[in-house]
Formats: sequence, structure tokens, C-alpha cells
Amino acid sequence: MIELMAPCGGWEALQAAIDNGADSVYFGVDQLNMRARATMNFTLGDLPEIAERCSKAGVRTYLTLNTIIYDHDLSIIKKVIDEVKNTGITAIIASDQAVIAYARQKEVEIHISTQLNVTNIETVKFYAMFADTMVLSRELSLSQVKKITEQIVKEDVRGPNGELIEIEIFGHGALCVAVSGKCYMSLHTDNSSANRGACIQNCRKKYTVIDQETGTELAIDNEYIMSPKDLCTIDFLDQVIDAGVKVLKIEGRGKAPEYVATVTRCYRKAIDAYYAGTYTTEFGKELMKELETVYNRGFWGGYYLGQELGEFSSKPGSLATQKKVYLGKGVHYYPKAKIAEFKIEAQSLKKGDKILITGPTTGVYETVAESIFVDDEQVAETKKGDQCTIPLEQRIRLSDKLYKIVEA
Amino acid sequence: MLVVTLQRDKCIGCNYCAELCPELFRMSKKDGKTVLLKSRDRKGFHTINTNEIHTYEAEQAKKACPVNIISVKTV
Repeated sequence: MIELMAPCGGWEALQAAIDNGADSVYFGVDQLNMRARATMNFTLGDLPEIAERCSKAGVRTYLTLNTIIYDHDLSIIKKVIDEVKNTGITAIIASDQAVIAYARQKEVEIHISTQLNVTNIETVKFYAMFADTMVLSRELSLSQVKKITEQIVKEDVRGPNGELIEIEIFGHGALCVAVSGKCYMSLHTDNSSANRGACIQNCRKKYTVIDQETGTELAIDNEYIMSPKDLCTIDFLDQVIDAGVKVLKIEGRGKAPEYVATVTRCYRKAIDAYYAGTYTTEFGKELMKELETVYNRGFWGGYYLGQELGEFSSKPGSLATQKKVYLGKGVHYYPKAKIAEFKIEAQSLKKGDKILITGPTTGVYETVAESIFVDDEQVAETKKGDQCTIPLEQRIRLSDKLYKIVEA
Repeated sequence: MLVVTLQRDKCIGCNYCAELCPELFRMSKKDGKTVLLKSRDRKGFHTINTNEIHTYEAEQAKKACPVNIISVKTV
């Protein structure tokens, strides 16, 4: 069965990925990963708990260590890899040869990062000396992917663990205007290297072209000419699996926990339907509606179907059909009565509102507020400052965040 | 007097400050982040009072920092 890999930028997203059917998760620690700017990155000290939580749930764990590496980083990467070995994290995702060499020496499983842009079978054979799983470049078509996976079987290309090389592709999430991971735009304009995980995403902005000689401004038909739509493969997932792909990766370590929950859940449903023999393109399109509720720049199938290039977004930011509005914090949960108590700090909650609760242990919990009580009286609406109780099937914790979901 | 401050935990180890202002900054071989030499750590904000002779280089480092964690003030 194809493995579904979900991104985790923090504890909430990690729990959401586990609860929604991810087979594996990937995450970064400290500064040496492709989301170095994210304030919510885990630290080295979090690894034992991540490993424990995931192994209990039967979920594999991959640590990203895939930036370019300078001399001054050499001792920290060794420390990180040693810690991966000690805590039982499944594998590291690497691109720099310094990282690959040390991890191999320590017999830590290696996955090749998209930063290395693997695009042909000879490269696969080369990295097979070190790695068991490789993500192929997002710029390949599915027929090119299929040729590579067929060659792996035909030529019996095996990794250090003795198994055939597993091919992974990106299935969903943001695409880069440059060849993935080879962009220097952010570095040139703001000294902020995408290859050190500090991309400022200036490709997502509006630009005009000015003729330097005459000063004439040229209007560009598509104003977001450098901002591609997001990749989505859910409506041709059968072709992805038939191409021999073994791991489907969801992009988005910088995204919110409910994004991870929704996207993981949708792809889980699609994958399960495929193996049950009930998957159809129509079913995929239905799931796409659900995917549209969370952050997206509009969807296209990327380069996989070999279509004409360049599907660019029409707006800055997200086209999501729903958004969350912060309401307040969790105060207490009465497990016997199954009642949750919240303090409303902003806006108001009405009976029948769709609510979202997130927390490091709770993960992501979406439900409907069927009834609301303030001071033991049933009310139709709460005010700011109210301490309210809602009957909830699932346990919530102190300081969990309560949101309502509204149409965007 | 020149007051330089570094919010060290947010450093991504890009090396620009150490390159542009080696008198004040050096990359740590221990954790890969920059070190503001001889600074005092107050709740994650590392500060030194130094000679204004370093103003130009310190300003360069501040300008180059991709995560804006260096501040430079003349007092």
C-alpha cells in the first residue's frame, strides 16, 4: 500500500496527522531544515516524545536535515543525527553529502530530499549506495516517474537496507516557481536563502515589468505570474499509484494543524478507496471540495500529467472556502458527563456553529456546538467574557484553542 | 557608545554577520548559530556595549540579517 506522509510544524499538527490516518510524518528541529523561519519548529529535546507518540500509533517518523550545510554546522548535524539514532526516529531526509555521509556511517536510514532533484535512474542508482527512499523532482511527468520505478525493479536497484528503492513524490501542497529547492530569488533580494530554509516567498507577490529605457510599465495579463497554484493529485491518484510510487508526501510544515488534518484525511480516504476498488475520478473531485476548505492557492495537477505549463494563482494568499475565527480557550473537561468548559475571549459562539478545537495533545477536533450552556442555563449565543460549557464527545485540555469555522 | 543586541535563539546560522562584522560576531561550532562576542545574555537577548568604531560593520550585519535579530544603537 502507498504510504501517506504528512507534514508537522508542531505538536498540534503532529497529533492531527496521527489522528487522520498518516502512515508517516516529517518535521524539522532547530534551524537546519527547510522551514527555518517557522517559530513552531520542534527542538532536539522534543525527539524522544515525538518518537514515542508516533511509534505507539504505528506512525513512522522522518526528520528533515536538508538545508545546505556550512562548516560551522558540522558539529550540530552530528549531534542531531546521533540524537535520531538514540531516540529511534525512523529516518532522516537529507540533501547535503556531509549529512548523508555521517548518517550512513551511523547506520541511520536516509531519505533523499527534493533538494537533490532526482530526475533519472542513474541518479537513483548513485544515491542507492546511501539511501532507501528518494523523492523525485516535482517537475517530472508521471510517465517519467513510471519509467524510473520500472527500471528500479528491472535493474534490481536496492538500498542499504537490502530492499528495492522506494520512490516518493509530492502529492499535495505548494509548488515553487523555480525548480524545487533551486531558487535564489529570496537570497538575492533579501539575503534570505531559501536553501537555508528562510525563503521569504517573494514569488507570491504582484509584479510589473518596467522598460528601463522609456520607463514604460508593462501590464502583465496574470498579475501573479510567479506564484503557481497548489499541487493536487487527488483526482488522478490511481495514476500516481499505478506509476509505482510508494510514498505520497504532503507539503506544508508551515501550515496550520487543521490543514494537516483535512488534507491527510482526504488523501487517506482516496488511498483506502483505491485499494478497496471503489476509487473514481469523481470521488477524487468530491474530496477536492473538502480540500478547498483549507489554505490553497487554487489547484492544478502540477507537471505530472504533462499538461501545458504554468497555472498561476489569481489572488495573493489563500482561496480557501472556509476560515477559522478565534473564540477562546479550554478551561476544563468533565470526562464522565462529557462536557467541555471554555472561556470565550473574543467574538461570540452561536448554537449550531461549526467549531474547531486545537491543542498539542488534542490535535485537531472539528464538530458542531449542538447546545451551549452558561451558568447551567442553555443559551443560543455566548458573549465575550462568558465561561460556557458544551457537551463534547472527545476530551479537550486546558488552554486548547477554540475557533468557529465560517465561510470565507 | 555602541549597543549591539542579538536575539540568538532565532538565528538560522546563515553566516552573514560573521562575514560582514567579524570583530563582533563569530559562528559557533557548537550549535551552528552566531555568537555576539563578549555579550551578556538577558533572557535570550545577548547585548554588548562597544566602541563606536564598529558602527559601520555592525550596521552592515544588521542590514544583512535575513531574520532581523540584530539591533544596533548609538547611545
